[in-house]
Amino acid sequence: MKYAKVTATAAAGALLFVSTGAQANGEKPDYTAMTPEALAEYLIFEANGIKLDQKTQEGATVKERQMRDELQTICSGGTRATLAGDDLAKVASLGRAGIVKPEGGVKLGDWKKGQELARSGFGFRVGHNNDDHSTREPGGNCYACHQLDPKEIAYGTLGPSLMNYGKLRGNSQAIIDYTYDVVYSPHSFFPCTHMPRFGANGVLTQQQIADVLAYLIDPASPVNQ
Amino acid sequence: MLNKRTFLIPLCLMMAGASAAGDYRPPEDVLAELIEKSGSLYLTQSEQNLMMMADNPASWTVEEGEALFHEPRGPNNVSLEGCDFGKGPGVLDGAYVEMPRYFADTGRVMDLETRLVHCMTTLQGFADDDPAVKSRHGSNSDMMRLQSYIGSKSSGYPWNPPLDHPLETAMRDAGKVLFNRRAGPMDFSCATCHSESGKRIRASVLPNINSPEEWTKAISWPAYRVGHQHVRSSQHRVRGCYWQMRQGQSVAGSDASIALISYWTDAARGQPAILPDMKR
Ligand code: HEC
Ligand code: HEC
Repeated sequence: MKYAKVTATAAAGALLFVSTGAQANGEKPDYTAMTPEALAEYLIFEANGIKLDQKTQEGATVKERQMRDELQTICSGGTRATLAGDDLAKVASLGRAGIVKPEGGVKLGDWKKGQELARSGFGFRVGHNNDDHSTREPGGNCYACHQLDPKEIAYGTLGPSLMNYGKLRGNSQAIIDYTYDVVYSPHSFFPCTHMPRFGANGVLTQQQIADVLAYLIDPASPVNQ
Repeated sequence: MLNKRTFLIPLCLMMAGASAAGDYRPPEDVLAELIEKSGSLYLTQSEQNLMMMADNPASWTVEEGEALFHEPRGPNNVSLEGCDFGKGPGVLDGAYVEMPRYFADTGRVMDLETRLVHCMTTLQGFADDDPAVKSRHGSNSDMMRLQSYIGSKSSGYPWNPPLDHPLETAMRDAGKVLFNRRAGPMDFSCATCHSESGKRIRASVLPNINSPEEWTKAISWPAYRVGHQHVRSSQHRVRGCYWQMRQGQSVAGSDASIALISYWTDAARGQPAILPDMKR
């Protein structure tokens, strides 16, 4: 779904840089006549910067993966601190539009499965030692950026600590819904955040997100001990 | 966390030989001075590596590279002394900190690896697929030996990649765009992990491109990677980071890889290179 959309936007982008300096006859264009953005696109897609024909786990090729959707394009241009208000509002609305709720509402899943997903960084690597999703499911890698279980010391700090998340915020439906949205598509609340869109990008399924939510919110989870 | 005693010896050495910018200084002294100045968590994260710096296994690789560099080799049976790394044929002192740079003979901006391949194929006459140029990733490859030696001749010199030619500026600016370009299933760009000091991914402290004191260590390749037990290159690091980002495999020697390296070298401008370095 997402990748079809992406291809269309990126194709439009490709036309843009071809007309700003790249020659159609295969000769090297004058790099100095191109904008930095156009040159960067040219270097990736036309000058063999990245091996584009390799297969990806989502059933397409690296070429599609390197193309950007509108949200990625805007967020490549700056941070929440430097981008214009209009851009951030656009990103927030794209973020919101990407959220798909489970039928019958969001419920907490199994915190033990959520724990495994939070620890695992498996999935989506390509080029060499490709991750094989048929042998193992991709993880959410939450520990790369967040503190969660107080007993786990190898946690990253790119994101805020989520230790005692459920203990501090409770387990109301409002908190469950909010947390689902953040994990599914965090840009709805935090435009141009560093956090990946686990749901919108198809990294985690709705069921896996429910399991991760249980790990954060279930009173029995180690995160809340 | 950091044991001060570790640095007593290199610091004494350093003060005795207080050096002007542009002189060779051993990598362990350069690092000790940077730590003293900045106290960065990234620079000090591995006490074990800091203690081992003076016995860096990469110093063997440097020595092997020195012998290879001066030996007549390849179908043309000539040494690399005729290769111009930007400061004239065979001039290596401080050459690497001024790369990538524009070379008139090829009309391209080239990084160290690309320039070396160029000289080995044109000057020495090696075929593109000869293992001497093709095999690039281990301490026992000619490529890593030669890069380590050439790099070591810039240890202590401040990074100073030229921006006089318009192509050098164009590549640097495109490299900045590439560094910030978010794509793939994780929405990552290099900036996701390298734009703030003191942040960690799991237990690894990340270097910040906006802090030249940290960034000079980040880009000081060739470096011995303890986890890999091999000396690795800048090009290998670029490839590894694309892999970690779940993006496609970067092509060594491509203009995209050289643009990225132009930007990352410019970001360390003025800070002394640590060559060869040692990393986790
Ligand atoms: C690459 C980094 C990264 C990864 C991986 C990551 N996050 Fe985050 N997360 C962040 C950042 C950064 C924020 C803060 C939002 C902001 O200000 O941009 C955040 C915010 C959050 C919040 C909102 C906190 C609040 O105060 O309301 C939740 C909940 C959360 N993350 C859960 C998760 C879960 C669950 C996972 C794994 C499935 C995860 N994150 C993976 C970086 C990450
Ligand atoms: C998801 C996080 C992440 C992203 C995105 C990322 N890196 Fe890194 N980078 C790391 C980590 C962690 C290390 C530390 C070494 C290691 O464990 O591989 C590192 C190491 C480095 C280093 C060497 C410093 C050292 O101590 O080894 C450089 C230079 C670097 N990265 C550049 C880049 C570039 C360029 C990109 C984009 C093409 C990038 N990184 C993208 C996490 C990241």
